[in-house]
Amino acid sequence: MTAPALLLSLLLAFSGFSALALSQDRHHRAVIRTPVARSRIRGLRAAGWSGLGLSFAAAVTSVGWCFGPVQWIGSLTGSALAVVALIAYRPTALRAAALAAIPLAALTLPLALMR
Amino acid sequence: MNRPKSFRQSMAWLHTWSGLVVGWVLFAIFVTGTASYYRTEISHWMRPELPDAIPDPVAAATGAGTFLRKTMPEAAGWSIKLPNADMTAVEVYWWQTIGGPFHHALLDPATGERSTVRDTRGGDFLYRFHFELNMPPIWGRWIVSACAMILLIALISGIVTHRRIFADFFTFRRDRSAQRGWLDAHNVMGVLALPFHLMIVYTGLVTLASMLMPWAVKTGYHGDIRRYYADAGLMIAGRPPAGRPGAGLPLGEIVSRAIAATGETPEHVTVSNPGDAAATVTAYFEEPPGLAHLHPQIAYDAATGVELGRVGEAGAATRTGAVMIGLHEAHFAAAPLRFLFFLCGLMGAGTVATGLVLWTVARAPKNAAPEGLGLRLVRILNLGTIAGLPTGLAAYFLANRLLPVTLDARADWEVGAFFTVWVLAAMASALYPRPRAWSIALTVPAFAFLAIPVIDSMTAGQVRFVGFDGAMALLGLLLFLAARLAGRRALARRPAKERLHGTAEA
Repeated sequence: MTAPALLLSLLLAFSGFSALALSQDRHHRAVIRTPVARSRIRGLRAAGWSGLGLSFAAAVTSVGWCFGPVQWIGSLTGSALAVVALIAYRPTALRAAALAAIPLAALTLPLALMR
Repeated sequence: MNRPKSFRQSMAWLHTWSGLVVGWVLFAIFVTGTASYYRTEISHWMRPELPDAIPDPVAAATGAGTFLRKTMPEAAGWSIKLPNADMTAVEVYWWQTIGGPFHHALLDPATGERSTVRDTRGGDFLYRFHFELNMPPIWGRWIVSACAMILLIALISGIVTHRRIFADFFTFRRDRSAQRGWLDAHNVMGVLALPFHLMIVYTGLVTLASMLMPWAVKTGYHGDIRRYYADAGLMIAGRPPAGRPGAGLPLGEIVSRAIAATGETPEHVTVSNPGDAAATVTAYFEEPPGLAHLHPQIAYDAATGVELGRVGEAGAATRTGAVMIGLHEAHFAAAPLRFLFFLCGLMGAGTVATGLVLWTVARAPKNAAPEGLGLRLVRILNLGTIAGLPTGLAAYFLANRLLPVTLDARADWEVGAFFTVWVLAAMASALYPRPRAWSIALTVPAFAFLAIPVIDSMTAGQVRFVGFDGAMALLGLLLFLAARLAGRRALARRPAKERLHGTAEA
């Protein structure tokens, strides 16, 4: 089904992009109010890229190789825009939103894989 | 203008000036193109008299054939768009010669006569404006193509110029100087939707490729474009007229054969040389599900209903082109994905708009010094385009509800309202006081869009238009928000030090 599949891609990419943003000192200071610890950068980056990777996998497995990549690129744009908007206007909400997106994605998964 | 020194500087120079010269036209192309993702929804809303129920396509085809035989029996061609969920009336075109003029009518499928639905161009006006700018088609398409090619240059040079694409990926510093804020907004909208921007401008050029680069077909086929189309698997090779009159079967008979052959209702049928003994009816089907935008076709002998041929398998080049055009038009996208395409289109318009504004902000005179002629011209063109076009768009929708239904040349009046209001809004914005110009100019279309649901509920007032009216109200609110932001930025410029990071307390 396309709507849950798109939502799943969006949620995973949103969490991924949030982690990538938090791996940057400027955004970490704005969101968590502390400078980012050197030891956390690597973990956040790994989490970020896996979020984007899982988003791609979700798109391709749920709608196939034909539409999957298109849907994935669309959800990258949409979710990155949400991350930028949150950092600019509600920075303290970013971490909670990124964490909440993960269980939401898990809930969406069975719907997305339904044919 | 200083002579640029390094490669990056010269790219920055190229980006600035290539973006500026075509920016205003590009903004209009982006806005109308983005609206075209909802072309059928717009057309639906603009013809409130049309019912939602889909009439029988076989009877509709027969009725349309009878109407056309009565109207122009010796035509060179007829085209009949059968009713479907997107459009429940029958659209017919007919022409005496292949070069036009092309006559057009909307038929009532129940009677086979001209429909009494209000005369409007609906979403098709915005769709055609997107690539023809309401000019003679060839002129408009060449201008749009030139702008698209310059946009491609601006995109590539912009990527080279943007030194911190990854470092500033999520950065929007709205609390710093005005110039910083506009630059960040320009970068964020440009970079986050960059795959879309590159795709849309490149595939847009591909849709017009045969006009831009006709030499291959000219050399290989000696200009016989129809034979090229047949070889490429785009259409069925036609047959010449027999030169003696003939009578065709009722068109519905051929449509029912096409339905029986494929299990699908054709999207439209064309009849070439309808009065001739060798008249041919071609049924065109919707593109098969996939990214590619292709139209399967079957040709029938109009007199006997015998199948003459089907369109050949498309070659690799044709399929590649069809996928690109399919991506550009996004017919394959269901509502959720379509919304993301719409969002990306808005971000494209936003990138152009912020780029244009940035040009003036970066050159704004300090304090109350008078602005130069060039700066004033660009600033007023910016106001007139970025705030004026949405005002015209709202006027187009409002005119659809407010003009009398039976007015002569009503569709032209609607288009007239679009351009008149746009020009008036642009001229008025030249008179606004400079510090408050943006907030006033953006408040005007905000009110105009908010008026649409009000006027609609007072005139047509149908429950099925709640979605469209809601979207218009949302656009109005967004424009209000933009007006407020523009106003606040002009009035209070907070010191940068005060809030370096974050805005949680706000």
